[in-house]
Amino acid sequence: MEQEFRIEERVDDGVPVITVAGEIDVASAPQLREALHKVIADGHTTVVLDLLAVTFLDSTALGVLVGALKRCRELGGELHVVVTDPRIMKIFEITGLTKVFPIADSLAAVTAS
Amino acid sequence: MSETESGGSDTLRVGDRVELTFPARGDLVVLARLVTSAISARAGFDIESLEDLRLAVGELCLLALQGSDARHGDLCLEFTVAADVIDITCTLAGAGPGSRDAEDTGEADQLSEQILSALVDEYGRTQDDGAVRAWLRKRRRGHLA
Repeated sequence: MEQEFRIEERVDDGVPVITVAGEIDVASAPQLREALHKVIADGHTTVVLDLLAVTFLDSTALGVLVGALKRCRELGGELHVVVTDPRIMKIFEITGLTKVFPIADSLAAVTAS
Repeated sequence: MSETESGGSDTLRVGDRVELTFPARGDLVVLARLVTSAISARAGFDIESLEDLRLAVGELCLLALQGSDARHGDLCLEFTVAADVIDITCTLAGAGPGSRDAEDTGEADQLSEQILSALVDEYGRTQDDGAVRAWLRKRRRGHLA
């Protein structure tokens, strides 16, 4: 059974954290794009994207992440991604995006960095 | 002899063909992934290859939809099991030229092709008379090209 797609936003110590659960694909990626656009439009240049509960990711989702990363960096910030699922990591690896995104295995690791 | 070759009731035999047609909507691409998982398992692919195929089929649907206005079209997936490979074709018919939700799609299309290159043995896309056909081939592990 596929897990329901959910997005939650909060701010930790002034940094927005967007937590996503379920499958991010061509159908749900626009919601993620909208959430990322909103926090960046609100003036945040550094964003943490928590993908720990994501079960599937396709190229549409990666395109949204790359677009948001570019916008954050243009503004002098960063888009941190938190991932541990080997299936999700594999998608980052085969597209070469492990060299592009700062990827951490926990929210605590992002804070520590 | 493998289960696939023996033709058990829960397996697909060499030459078996399965078709799935659905309206070309993004929220229905999940159907293609679900069916691919079921068929790949019955065709004797291991768990890792099954996951690869599930992701690849989603990308195959996106490849077929590239540059098309699919609001009125249908996606038809055809799965064919051979001795050492599975062939999957995705045909988009009835759609006019257009574009998907434009933002970030150029980047996504490039990433899609990178994913397909990494996960399957061969893939391609052709367009004739308004119908787009994207296809892939994946070999079972242990079989040489």
